[in-house]
Amino acid sequence: MKRRTFLQLSGMTAAGTVLSGCQSGNEKLIPYLVPPDEGVTPGKADYYASSCRFCPAGCGILVRVSEGRAKKIEGNPAHPVNRGKLCAMGQAVLQELYHPDRVPQPLKRSGPRGSGAFTRISWEESLELLAGQLRALQREKATDRLALVTPQLNGTLVELTTRFMRVFGSPHHLSFDLLGPDWLRTATRRSFGQPGLPWYDVAETRYLLSFGADFVEHHLSPVQYGYAFGRMRQGRDTVRGHFTYVGGRMSLTGASADRWMPARPGSEGALALGMARLILAESLSDAGSLAVNGLQTEKLLRRLEAYDLPRVAEQTGLPQRIIAEVAREFATTRPALAMAGETVAFQSNGPDAVRAVQMLNLLVGNLNRPGGVYPDGGSRVGPENSFTELLSLVAAMRDGRFRVAMIHGDPVHAIPPATGFQEALARVPFIVSFSSLMDDTALQADLILPDHAALESWGDVIPLAGTRDRVIGLMQPVVTPLFDTRQFPDVLMAMADKLGGKTAAFPYQSYQEMLKGTMEKRVGRAARRDFETVWVELLRQGGLFETRQGQEKGYRRAPGSSLPNPAEPRFAGDEKRFPLHLLVYPSIAFYDGRGAPLPWLQQLPDPMTTVVWDSWVEINPRTAAEMGIGFGDLVEVTSPQGAMRLPAVIYPGIRPDMVAIPLGQGHRGMGRYARGRGSNPLVLLALITDGTETRPAWHATRVRLTRISEKGELVTAGHPQGSYRSELIEI
Amino acid sequence: MKISWLIAGLIFAAGVVVAGLALMYYLPLDMRDRSPLQPLAFSHKVHAGDNGIHCLFCHRYAPESPVAGIPAVADCRACHLFISPDAPEIKKLMLYWEKREPIPWVRVYSLPDHVYFPHMMHIRARLSCTVCHDEVAAMERVARSAELKMGWCLNCHRQHKASIDCWTCHK
Ligand code: SF4
Repeated sequence: MKRRTFLQLSGMTAAGTVLSGCQSGNEKLIPYLVPPDEGVTPGKADYYASSCRFCPAGCGILVRVSEGRAKKIEGNPAHPVNRGKLCAMGQAVLQELYHPDRVPQPLKRSGPRGSGAFTRISWEESLELLAGQLRALQREKATDRLALVTPQLNGTLVELTTRFMRVFGSPHHLSFDLLGPDWLRTATRRSFGQPGLPWYDVAETRYLLSFGADFVEHHLSPVQYGYAFGRMRQGRDTVRGHFTYVGGRMSLTGASADRWMPARPGSEGALALGMARLILAESLSDAGSLAVNGLQTEKLLRRLEAYDLPRVAEQTGLPQRIIAEVAREFATTRPALAMAGETVAFQSNGPDAVRAVQMLNLLVGNLNRPGGVYPDGGSRVGPENSFTELLSLVAAMRDGRFRVAMIHGDPVHAIPPATGFQEALARVPFIVSFSSLMDDTALQADLILPDHAALESWGDVIPLAGTRDRVIGLMQPVVTPLFDTRQFPDVLMAMADKLGGKTAAFPYQSYQEMLKGTMEKRVGRAARRDFETVWVELLRQGGLFETRQGQEKGYRRAPGSSLPNPAEPRFAGDEKRFPLHLLVYPSIAFYDGRGAPLPWLQQLPDPMTTVVWDSWVEINPRTAAEMGIGFGDLVEVTSPQGAMRLPAVIYPGIRPDMVAIPLGQGHRGMGRYARGRGSNPLVLLALITDGTETRPAWHATRVRLTRISEKGELVTAGHPQGSYRSELIEI
Repeated sequence: MKISWLIAGLIFAAGVVVAGLALMYYLPLDMRDRSPLQPLAFSHKVHAGDNGIHCLFCHRYAPESPVAGIPAVADCRACHLFISPDAPEIKKLMLYWEKREPIPWVRVYSLPDHVYFPHMMHIRARLSCTVCHDEVAAMERVARSAELKMGWCLNCHRQHKASIDCWTCHK
């Protein structure tokens, strides 16, 4: 710049500043145009109790509302699951309400599928459109050509959807969650004869042994377990509970442990049985518990012969000394507790590995004891193998057996493409989405009937495995809906109404009424007389919380249940061409991807790597050095199923033969904050099934890495170099 | 020669200053933050003084909320549909209503975010509005009379034996 130009410019800027300074610096005081209704006092906040349903844990929340706007969410101190605490996702639910890219009213597709061209239509028109499609099915006696896809629901929603599908005459309701605890239900039923989920008394235990259960981040009920973990460590005067973590990647949970055992992926079940054998051989087991459960030490030992220490050490890649030490600590500290998590379960031998871990609990006699495992107080039943249902639905869709698909949630993003879901869905002629944001599924839809945001909704939430008590959390609208949206259950009811003749199936006028009716049935007889008052009280406190300890039938080995015998793990991709194991883990901010549209969660640095806004692949420093990969380089990850490019994070907290990618990014839609950010690692996952059982083995895919360039464009909040120097891993 | 240049320069500079001042005087620039120009020439003297309308008639949230609140445009209009509807300032008011725009009043009293000042507690303590706001009923245009510094608050709290714990105001 020339000196003269500079002087001219600075003169102009100075003049501008002087002029803009000639105004009083006071803020504006903007009045209402029309005063608000009764009940709104400007400047004064109201607090409403409701429930979080962002993840299945179902924590209780209190929402601060002033001038009719929701301002802040905190945990509900009276709620037995989270006791006033809340996770980042729960806090961010506020941003779902105010998201600038919400679908404001029903939309009809106006361009080719997937192009994102939609026109706004009225609710009458849109409902008539869907009713027309469904009526056509009824007329042709082809009602089973309707499919309903939802996440795993609970409470009145199950009742409603089941009834709707039954009355309409279609058996095809798929309730699938990528992270649904089906595996835990099956394992628990096979071990103990009960399909309910276990509740771990972490707070009271003295030795916690977690096999890949990341309970601080996402496993079952993270807020509850995080709180309990804090009490286990610091809540008692004389004891500080010990915690050992087993798993190939050090998660945030693993990082909180006293000891980390990076066992080879797929060998965790063998490790558990190896420990069991050692405990039995050294007579450290609980004789009483064995007797009650009808087991004999000698017989067990004979069955576990194969799991001798040298062999287990070789399988797991861990030193014999360490395995023996942990086994002895576990058996001699009472109470001690073993948990199994997703990292173990989603292997080809997952179900048996989980049962092997459950057997450890039995051996040290901590079933139904303080500091041990109890059946949880939540719903007794739930899907046990929704993955098989998913596969059969996909097969049917591929054959063109469906004419209409109604979809709640975002399965197009959250189901691994290896199942063929996305392609099969494209063959359904009419797709209805209930998403309130333009997500990947909504982009493929022909009709979008936007749901309310959570803070505008009614609902009941039965917490998943968060407490032993019977808890039914209630959701109530804390603000009047911002847009012309309707709740999914209300739309179903309206649809039933329109289809006519079957309205008797829905004796309620609205979902709110149904909820109230169901709650009336659930409270005791005495309370029912004056239910209006009870109802208001339930809403005020946030749900129905009952304490009833010890009445539940405890755990006992199911008669005739066989001993777990985890097979050799199998992997997709041969070892030569794909030398590394892939671990795809739910991030603390995005869960299975549903957190991605919320900017607060996008800005949350990952607790272990401090990466913000992006996806990345974690590589052990040794592996990276061998391949010449540096921090932040762009690498290509190739699996037998697909390939993707990601920046590399050199991470000492992972086995050298393993790489890990967080889940949740890589949306095509989902609003401006999620769109096109990062990548979705689900495209890498291969489908491993064997002839007899169909179980998802998402962690059994192998990959290889190729360095592409040094421009990975990684954004981190911390200084990465520190991690190069640490020597955390010694295998 | 040199002197004359200097004198000319000085005269020129003085002219510039005078012109600048004149400009500032005539242009509608408002540099007063204690008594700013308002979009409407609302007179507290007419309302609260001459007509004796009570403060809480318009600032109606003061007894129950931290903020006193200002009347909605609809409230102003409700009265002035009948009261001097032809005055030029009232016409301006009606124009705001017709355009469905709230009136951008300029705030006279404001406290930083780290200070919590609840109107309702002060009213419940039977303090008169004039203690902080002075004789508003005599003001054509509202002017801030108090400095709003911490010492000023503390003095009053001490005088009235109110709490001077930090948490009372800073929370
Ligand atoms: S753990 Fe789940 S239910 Fe609880 S606050 Fe977090 S997202 Fe909500």
